[in-house]
Amino acid sequence: MKIMIQFVIDYISYIFKGGLRFYAWMGFLALFLLPWAYGNYMQFTQGMIVTGLSDQVSWGLYLANFVFLVGVAAGAVTIVFPAYVYKYEPLHKVAVLGEMLAIAAVIMCILFVFSHMGRPDRLWHMVPLLGIYNFPNSMLTWDTMVLIGYFLLNLVCGFYYLYQKYTGRPLNNNFYLPLIFISIVWALSIHTVTAFLINTMPARPMWHHGMMPIRFISTAFAAGPSLIIVIFLIIRKNTALWIEDKAINMLSTIVVGCLSIGLFLTLSEVVTELYHPTEHSDGLRYLMFGKHGLSNLVPWFWGSLVAMLVGWVLLLIPRVRKNYTVLPYICVLIFLGIWVEKGMGLLIPGSIPTPIGEFTQYSPTMIEIMNCLGNWAIGFLILTVLLKGAIGIVLGDVKYTKTQ
Amino acid sequence: MSENTIPVVELSDQSPCGGESVGQWDPNAQDDRSLDSPSRRTFVQNSAAGMSAASLMGTAALVTGSDDADANTTWAEHFQGNYRLMSDEEKAEALDRLEKRYSLEYEKDVTVDGTEAADNVLFGYALNIKKCIGCRRCVKACVQENNQTRGDEQEIEWIRVLKMEKGEFTQEKLKDGYPGEVGIQVGGNAYGAVGVVLEGEHYYEPDKVPEQDSHYMPIACMQCEKPPCVKVCPVRTTYREADGPVVIDYNWCIGCRMCIGACPYWARRFNWGEPKLPKEEMNPDTHYLGNRPRMKGVVEKCTFCIQRTRQGRYPACVEVCPVGARKFGNLLDPNSEVRRVLATKRVFRLKAELNTYPKFFYYVD
Amino acid sequence: MKKLQISAVVLLLLTGAPAAFSQETTECFESRKGASEVTQKEVSPGLPNVKCSPRTGGVLWWGDPYDGTQPMGEMPIEADYSHGEAVVKPRESKLKLMALCGVACHNGVFPPVPKDKNPRALNMHKDVVPDSLNLQHGRGGIWCLDCHHTTTRNKLVDNFGNEISFNQPQKLCGKCHGQIYRGWREGMHGKRIGEWASDGKKRWFVCTECHNPHDVQQGDRNSGFAQLRPERAPILPKGIYNTDHEGHHGSSDHQDDEAAKH
Repeated sequence: MKIMIQFVIDYISYIFKGGLRFYAWMGFLALFLLPWAYGNYMQFTQGMIVTGLSDQVSWGLYLANFVFLVGVAAGAVTIVFPAYVYKYEPLHKVAVLGEMLAIAAVIMCILFVFSHMGRPDRLWHMVPLLGIYNFPNSMLTWDTMVLIGYFLLNLVCGFYYLYQKYTGRPLNNNFYLPLIFISIVWALSIHTVTAFLINTMPARPMWHHGMMPIRFISTAFAAGPSLIIVIFLIIRKNTALWIEDKAINMLSTIVVGCLSIGLFLTLSEVVTELYHPTEHSDGLRYLMFGKHGLSNLVPWFWGSLVAMLVGWVLLLIPRVRKNYTVLPYICVLIFLGIWVEKGMGLLIPGSIPTPIGEFTQYSPTMIEIMNCLGNWAIGFLILTVLLKGAIGIVLGDVKYTKTQ
Repeated sequence: MSENTIPVVELSDQSPCGGESVGQWDPNAQDDRSLDSPSRRTFVQNSAAGMSAASLMGTAALVTGSDDADANTTWAEHFQGNYRLMSDEEKAEALDRLEKRYSLEYEKDVTVDGTEAADNVLFGYALNIKKCIGCRRCVKACVQENNQTRGDEQEIEWIRVLKMEKGEFTQEKLKDGYPGEVGIQVGGNAYGAVGVVLEGEHYYEPDKVPEQDSHYMPIACMQCEKPPCVKVCPVRTTYREADGPVVIDYNWCIGCRMCIGACPYWARRFNWGEPKLPKEEMNPDTHYLGNRPRMKGVVEKCTFCIQRTRQGRYPACVEVCPVGARKFGNLLDPNSEVRRVLATKRVFRLKAELNTYPKFFYYVD
Repeated sequence: MKKLQISAVVLLLLTGAPAAFSQETTECFESRKGASEVTQKEVSPGLPNVKCSPRTGGVLWWGDPYDGTQPMGEMPIEADYSHGEAVVKPRESKLKLMALCGVACHNGVFPPVPKDKNPRALNMHKDVVPDSLNLQHGRGGIWCLDCHHTTTRNKLVDNFGNEISFNQPQKLCGKCHGQIYRGWREGMHGKRIGEWASDGKKRWFVCTECHNPHDVQQGDRNSGFAQLRPERAPILPKGIYNTDHEGHHGSSDHQDDEAAKH
């Protein structure tokens, strides 16, 4: 117990030991908190009327970010899987960083769920025993369950690993490895269930197809490692932790492979829907070409497609893939492309036209944007803190010493 | 549809206003209705007689101008359970609380009814799509009855009337084809539809209806027997009542809007902001699961006017329709208007392919 | 009942004025404009008989569905109302000339009773039938006296020359429109308000409360009803500022795509 308290103290005090750049970064993120607080205050007091949402488009930016971030959380498994299943050493060493990313991403997901709820004060109604948990009927209860489960798995695995590293004791593999393997499968489940959340609704023909889960997973396994590559390169540059080229190369290979599948599935959908466009294709056609003179989403769709295609083609070339000056920019391009594809490219056109055929437009309000940026900033603050602590322990900077 | 297979409803069971008292809360409720004043007020009186005391307390609070009651009721309201699972006493308390709060807020004697479903009743609805003239009086009657929010900022209407145009029939257009130079339909694609285009116009605003070459299609909640909205609700705040309507416990709804996503008929609405309901326009005869005033951040929908139909009265939209296109009644009663429609007219259900089994039928003569 | 009385007293004490809706008397129409007018009043404390649309003057809501009604009375053929309670609103009070026409003008002697039923130009009653040679009912196949009693002008007439009250036009209309008459009796044609139960108390709307017998031909208006002003369209959702996008109806996809490009 004493050791555990010592762990917490050492961990926290290490986090606050940072240079100017660290504090500048944290300060920059903290800048978003003020508008975030204002936006949340407005939304809580005035209601969701301060958003750009309507009865026609009642799911918007918040849920789009939620869906995307579930993917990012699941994407963390692209480190854990090669590290533990293939015993790929370069990634094995830094696998814990993936778990930290998963924790931060799930927290962001929860923040976005809070933002999306009309009555966040009543969320206790969902707590089993206290309220009613409509399991197994409601897909949302499945999603809640797998997300909380994934969060706990990563929390336990990640901090157990760090704690053992901190105390210098060996890992108990009988305890640790089963959890790791469960968390790998579990990662797939969170994005699968999130896909089920929206594709089990015949009311929304654009979503109502069986390709959704695999498309979610393939794009998530491109967006997730893209973010991780960027983070790794930043860590390499700014900390003593040297992440091997092999680790990064492995991740960029995963990105290009999964992105290939994702693009292929997009192509399949477009051909299937557009060869003989039925009324069920109206959402996709609105997205791609606009309908009845309404075309807010058209540039986003094509922009996202171009971003993904350019990123994919560039990553196919080994010389480019291994050029670490260019690589982070390509990764950001892919990350943003997939973010747009999940939001403006999937969530919003799912509501347009409405189930009774009304075409509308949706654009988020300033408050919505402020809340989203704030949620992301909080997520990155948490991620930075988690990564910094983890790196300290992995490097051996934070270590249990009896003299303390 | 044989009359023998379906139990004919006994008069005493099914005619709450003509038969025995249907008060749920006080079996000794005084039977004070008089045949001379068969008003809506009296309908509600019958069932709410047992709650007179509570309403009087509300009125007393109104006289003294005390708002302690308000604070307490609001507080208790936050921590009440799901209505469906409450005991009879808890339900009575919840109704009391609301009556007090609403009476204070709207400065009139508001009743919140809790009448349960009667036996041998399953509500059904039929709409004559040939008759509808698109006047939207049903839409506005619904708003009068059901206390929806109104104003420029947000306006909730449970019924949406679509105008369907008969379309174009010009030869000229039919010459268009793909590819353009080669002629008609070489690529298997004529560009457009001939005749009726089944895409509704939602915001039509002519001087007079019905317009030439148009027909109209009102859409509201279909009260599905297999409602997708109910299945997706994470907290079971929306559910199907025993007599058919799909209702919402507004106090239990968490505002996640899964049900809005799942409804294939776009029948659910969300209170985006704090609802605005002018005191003088507020309909004081309410039902807990029906037209009682809502709060921000919750979903609402058509309940077949549960506050009226549970008291024996037609829904507001049925009564207001100036062309008699709307029919309502008990699907278990072979003599009901809706059963007669099903027996003798050409009937269809909207999006029947989704297997939601609506109890709202469209028909033509 | 006690509760109502007490709360009414309290309300009066508090506000010193009756509830808001009774502040002005409003006249609005129930189903057919010009023939089913009703005056707004309070039927019991806090309850108006009707609520009216401020925009179209149509009744939107009945506080008391049976206000001003009377039992439907004898019907020629047994119908559903036989075990429920059927009431109707008398029509005769709505007819301006009713009180006079049987005595002042058509007293049975003067003007002389027409010799035959051949259509002819009429100088009177142009407010009801602007052009008697172009009656908008029956496409030239019927004439005034097919419906109106030849000698007793404040009555309608059945197939045997017997009188029919203006309160029961269904007996007259059913002569020709048998199918519709049957539908009406069974509750499928026409409109009823009150209780939904098949044996409940209902107010039946009679033919002339909805249809204008002198003008029922569909013509351009595409309906047997007079055209009405519709209630206001829903407010536009956020993100939409006009209804231009609805102007593309009936247009082909091709034009759609073109429009999207512009």
